[in-house]
Amino acid sequence: MPLPTIPLIETRKLSKSYSSEEGVETPVLHDIDLVINAGEFVAIMGPSGSGKSTLMHILGFLDSQTSGEYFFKGRSMRTMNDDELALIRATDVSFVFQSFNLLPRTTVLENVMLPLLYHPTIPLHERENRSLKAVESVGLTERALYRTNQLSGGQQQRTAIARALVTNPAIIFADEPTGNLDSLSGKQVMSILQRLHQEGHTIILVTHERKTAEHAERIIHILDGKIDQDTRDFQRVMSGHVSSLK
Amino acid sequence: MLFIDTLRTARKGVTANIRRSLLTMLGIIIGVGSVVLMTGVGKSMEGVILGQISSLGSRSMVIFPGKGPESGGGQVQAGFDSLTFSDLEALQNLSSVTSFAPIVFVRGEVGYGREKSAATVMGTVAEYFQNVDVGAEAGRVLIDSDVRGAKNVVIMGPDVVEDLFPGGGNPIGKSITVADRSFTVVGVTESVGSQFFQNVDDRIFVPLSVARAMTGQKYLNMTMMQATGSFDLAITEVKGLLRYRHGIHNPDDDPDKDDFIVRSSAQAGEILGTVSIALTLFITFVAGISLIVGGIGIMNIMLVAVTERTREIGLRKALGAKRRDILLQFLVEAMLLTLLGGIIGIASGIVVAYFGAGIVHHYLASYLFALSLPAIFIAVLVAASTGLLFGIYPAKKAAALRPIQALRYE
Repeated sequence: MPLPTIPLIETRKLSKSYSSEEGVETPVLHDIDLVINAGEFVAIMGPSGSGKSTLMHILGFLDSQTSGEYFFKGRSMRTMNDDELALIRATDVSFVFQSFNLLPRTTVLENVMLPLLYHPTIPLHERENRSLKAVESVGLTERALYRTNQLSGGQQQRTAIARALVTNPAIIFADEPTGNLDSLSGKQVMSILQRLHQEGHTIILVTHERKTAEHAERIIHILDGKIDQDTRDFQRVMSGHVSSLK
Repeated sequence: MLFIDTLRTARKGVTANIRRSLLTMLGIIIGVGSVVLMTGVGKSMEGVILGQISSLGSRSMVIFPGKGPESGGGQVQAGFDSLTFSDLEALQNLSSVTSFAPIVFVRGEVGYGREKSAATVMGTVAEYFQNVDVGAEAGRVLIDSDVRGAKNVVIMGPDVVEDLFPGGGNPIGKSITVADRSFTVVGVTESVGSQFFQNVDDRIFVPLSVARAMTGQKYLNMTMMQATGSFDLAITEVKGLLRYRHGIHNPDDDPDKDDFIVRSSAQAGEILGTVSIALTLFITFVAGISLIVGGIGIMNIMLVAVTERTREIGLRKALGAKRRDILLQFLVEAMLLTLLGGIIGIASGIVVAYFGAGIVHHYLASYLFALSLPAIFIAVLVAASTGLLFGIYPAKKAAALRPIQALRYE
């Protein structure tokens, strides 16, 4: 695989701490150095409280670091103003949340169209077509005009995936996407994510479940705010071979 | 974000949660509606009161026998015979007052055939009708020759006509009885409703000379007159003359020492003006309370909705909304709600005031539908700014958060 000269995501000594109202600093992330290239399918794993979600929120421009650098497509996040951050959220990144975060009292199609309102280049007349395609790709065409509260959890999460797809972003972030789903719906969601990866999307997944993480080709373990392990597919395969040889 | 999208999003924000929108608007509707209604009622009442004064004529004065503070009740006090006809003759020589209309009340039943009326029977002169500015609806009012010739003629108020001629028909030329004496109806006065809260339409007028003959009274029940120039001069002269004639020493102008009361329409106007100010204050107070109640309603529902709205703002930001997009959406949404609520509030206030006035008008003829435009303007302004403030302020706060903070808001 040819490496691009500029990685999609690069962090240097990225740290994050929360300060409580009493002024007590709670460190969450410590000196994270990380490179993720376009086209990767990465799972970030770790126990709850390890900082994996915080890392993803920073990488996805939903949160900001306390210190260190985050370069997105070579640009430092620190140099971006509010509108530039909004533009990246609108065009380059999108999210699938554990709790779906769909607009209540609104149809599937309207939810999927929502990001296009904030997209600067997709013209008005293309919106519905694009949204319908995204809805189709998650298999919800027949439910497109249902309100989201009339759907099952799995269908709601598929709506959220369609919403994440519709702008054709550089990265799709998925934060415990199967966490609120039964196992069958979870499998459906993961197979959609895998298909998207095969179609060329970069996917970054946060999970605490080993089985879910194994859908990815690279697994990053976070423990106490630090990268504990960063293994790629072939290493996993190799280590598997090694263990089977023992 | 395109402006058309802002409009559509704001409209969706209003229509998606109808219950929340209605509750928000309800605050505005109650606030604006009750202010429109209450100030309208206030204006109508003011009209009623001012009508009482202007109907009497701006130069009118009245003297009646009795004691009491000048600002006391307006009723003639029975049993006082201190105002005599020779007092009247003396008063008529004063240059500061003119157009005397002495009044003598006649007790007795008024009837036509089997029909009866409980009308007040007043003996008076032609000047009375000029002083109170009442003309004839049919026929004529009293003239000097009626009084001089002591003719048995009568002028009736429209309410008396209804009493005595319930089937309709022209009363002019008919013969009615007043205290067992026959009178010919020569006129009907025009309908004026009440003056100074006394029903003028329920009266019967006979020549003063006839009334004197019927009652044998040597004193007046009251007299009306007009000041020729300043009220102060007229009142001073009238009081001075009467005190001199009645042997009353009263340099301090203590109303308790006098055996007569002098009133002017200016005084009455002052009293009614005070009443009117009190009424305005009361109405303003009530209107202010309604605005506060409405404002708190708006505030409450907006603040209750903040949790849900903050998450929505977090989501929209996560999807790429700029701060400006969020603020515009909420601004337009709040404007839609306040505009709609304001219009419904004004309309319902006007409708209730209008139909209310229609009903009250049946019982109080001078009560007419009225609106206070400045009050409507202020009400809409206050309600709209409350709505905008509490619609935008939480949104502004939420839009400044990082998306993840807004998404996790509880």
